[in-house]
Amino acid sequence: MRNATEELGAVAGKKPRVAVHKFSSCDGCQLAFLNLGEALLELGRVVEIVHFVEAGPVDAYADVDIAFIEGSVSTAHDAVRIKDIRERSRFLVTMGACATSGGIQALRNLGNGGDWLESVYASPEYIDSLDQVSPISQHVSVDFELWGCPVNSRQIIAAVRSLLLGVPPVDANEKVCLECKRNQTVCVMVTRQALCMGPATRTGCGALCPSFGRACYGCYGPAENINGAALAQWFAGLGAVSAEVADRFQMIYSQSEALSETAKDYRQRSGEDRD
Amino acid sequence: MTDNKEIRISIPALARVEGEGALDVVISDGQITDLKLRIYEPPRYFEKFLEGRMYHEVPDIVARICGICPVAYQMTAVQALESICDVAVTPWIRDMRQVLYCGEWIQSHSLHMHLLALPDFLGFNSIMEMAADYPQEVQRGMRLQAAGNDLMSLLGGRSVHPVGIIPGGFSRAPEAVAVSRMVDTLAVATDDAQQLLRWLVTLDLPVVEQQFVSVAMRSAPAYPLYQGRIISSQGLDIDKQEFAEHFSEFQVPHSTALHCLLDGQAYLVGPLARLNLNHDCLPEHLQVLLDELGIQFPVRNMFCSVIARAVEVCYALHEAQRLLEQYRLPDQAAVAVIPRSGVGFGCTEAPRGVLWHRYELDDTGRIVSARIVPPTSQNQARIEDDLRQSLTAHGLERDEDSLRLMGEKVIRNYDPCISCATHFLKLSVRNESVLVPEKSPIEDDIAFDKTTSSVAVIGVGSAHGADQLGYDVIRWLEKNDSVQRADVAVYYLDHFDMSFIKHIAAVEQIIFVDAMQAGRAKGSLIMVKGKDKDVSTRQANISSHEMGLQEYIVWLQTMLDEGVDISVIGLDTGGDAAWCYQEKDIQAVAMAILKMLSS
Repeated sequence: MRNATEELGAVAGKKPRVAVHKFSSCDGCQLAFLNLGEALLELGRVVEIVHFVEAGPVDAYADVDIAFIEGSVSTAHDAVRIKDIRERSRFLVTMGACATSGGIQALRNLGNGGDWLESVYASPEYIDSLDQVSPISQHVSVDFELWGCPVNSRQIIAAVRSLLLGVPPVDANEKVCLECKRNQTVCVMVTRQALCMGPATRTGCGALCPSFGRACYGCYGPAENINGAALAQWFAGLGAVSAEVADRFQMIYSQSEALSETAKDYRQRSGEDRD
Repeated sequence: MTDNKEIRISIPALARVEGEGALDVVISDGQITDLKLRIYEPPRYFEKFLEGRMYHEVPDIVARICGICPVAYQMTAVQALESICDVAVTPWIRDMRQVLYCGEWIQSHSLHMHLLALPDFLGFNSIMEMAADYPQEVQRGMRLQAAGNDLMSLLGGRSVHPVGIIPGGFSRAPEAVAVSRMVDTLAVATDDAQQLLRWLVTLDLPVVEQQFVSVAMRSAPAYPLYQGRIISSQGLDIDKQEFAEHFSEFQVPHSTALHCLLDGQAYLVGPLARLNLNHDCLPEHLQVLLDELGIQFPVRNMFCSVIARAVEVCYALHEAQRLLEQYRLPDQAAVAVIPRSGVGFGCTEAPRGVLWHRYELDDTGRIVSARIVPPTSQNQARIEDDLRQSLTAHGLERDEDSLRLMGEKVIRNYDPCISCATHFLKLSVRNESVLVPEKSPIEDDIAFDKTTSSVAVIGVGSAHGADQLGYDVIRWLEKNDSVQRADVAVYYLDHFDMSFIKHIAAVEQIIFVDAMQAGRAKGSLIMVKGKDKDVSTRQANISSHEMGLQEYIVWLQTMLDEGVDISVIGLDTGGDAAWCYQEKDIQAVAMAILKMLSS
């Protein structure tokens, strides 16, 4: 990322301007702001929120210091809009799986978008829908990525605080397993033969699913340096058929290279041609 | 002001609603001649990519349809899946699902009332502004919202996309100590909620009495939430299996959300419809409170929806507290599910109203097909009806800002959840900026007056490669002063924009000029008449840039008077976006346009 100290140092004197933009998404990541409670009002005092449609302010074309982007690019119009936002924003931060990696709706990239369109719509010609759903970084440069489906308020506040202080936010890319060990959560893969994505998934959720006795399904996205092949082999060893292994690797982050490589391999083994 | 003034109001981005939507209204001769609630949230195809997935993945996938009401989707899905697999859940599971669902109602309603609706009634743009004048009320609202979130986290682990719900029950039972702490929080929240209700009835809400059909679930003597039959204020009383026989969804050009009608007519779902049909099922203390406050259901004023939400928050807090006070750790938090083939239905009351799912499973537990009908697509037709009535009652002669604000208030009242409504849908129109040079030399030359122009020639494009063709043709017409007719106006348009329509509202003929991609040889002259529907029914994109010229034309056809002649003319780029056409190519298009204008 660019030199944050230099860039936002200049901002320290005046109220930084913040925008929250929505693309194709479920709106859940914006709730990381809207669920802040008192802290939302506090945030409104330290920064100027100039565009945040769901919260009220509308000024899509404002120049801002930080733009938070929720959602993925899935129409031609989206592709134009994100370029425009990039030009008007000093820092652009993607929040959540959709913006960062395409999100769950990118599963349609594995199918045939055109066929789907026609199977759902009586009049497909009304519909503007690109064949492929893509993350923001495929269209413009992104300064920082917040992973998670959904991101939580803690991540948002930490990112805003870092940027206001003029330091790059910390990228939490270690694996869920480490969090489980720290929490002393019993391993669900070892004790319950659960197909846990923890060894390949970023922390940030607090290792929520294992603490609920269930397998992590990877909602915080791929961690750094994962060994997908080895994990998939474990799944197969636990009795999962190839299609199941592939689906496990391709749910919310189906566009992640690290995950889709393994998924592709297992789809081939299962004889499916979805990829 | 003249009698025949025509007003076009458009709200290109609806603030304080969940998702992306817009409103277009056309008023002429003191009547609303056209009104469209446009939803342009892109399609997300959930039903399609559920196909082939295992049944146990469904709750985590459908949660992602909506970040504000994920539990509603999870609950409805597990209900349907369990019915296929013939699973009977324990009373503990049933009760805790009720509690979790209450948490979502509290969270969603509190968020809507305080962050989205109340700023309207009190004259603010956002809760941040409102907090300066109403600090206590805002803090109370945030405490209620937090109580709902905490309740969801207790059973689900987190409030957005919770992880606790699985087919068969819960993945974990909360510890008794956490539950008893929650009961304390609920007691405080109950007090807050009743104060909120008492305060809301003192507000000066608009009064617009309307006739409408209410649809809700019914599970008397209990207030409906997780189960029940589907009833209406006109005597409908059906089981969830029969939903599709009475309710039908269809696509309209201006919305990516399907419209849903009950036996062909618009209807209301959500808090007000629920209370209108189930007020007798509220706990006694709440009925007493409503009597004391002088609130009598059924209510015909849609603006009372905000009061209905507060009543439901009181109910949900009471219900959660009642069930958690008798909490015991269960022997098992979930029962076993053995997948089998079949078709199953789920129907519950989401915060915004009836939510209906249908799934088909194969014998290995894979989804064969899925269908989801969310509350907002059901309310769409009703919202448009309401807007027509409310704006007319408000006074169509009022200034545009006043009408616009009223329109927004009416829509927000329904708490439309557009992400839900477009879980797979998307539409054609966009709210892009439009390039209409303020002092276009051509406009000056021909003394453009939109009341006398009957033809609009619109060059579509950008300053890149072959896409400049539209502009160049207009420039050529301008330079050569070749348009002899005084009633022809010309435009440069860089993006398709609904607001552009005001410039061409009165014309009889529209000619779009653009670089094309119709699969012909480079430089072929292509003319497509919009009138003979060739444009609107073509599957392939005729436009070289991706901005959806066809969709724009389809939209124009729905917005403009019938009989407006729309055509498209241009040169095929042969797929070469960087094609450098010659002056003679520009001239060829220009001459073709002049020929069209002289005929």
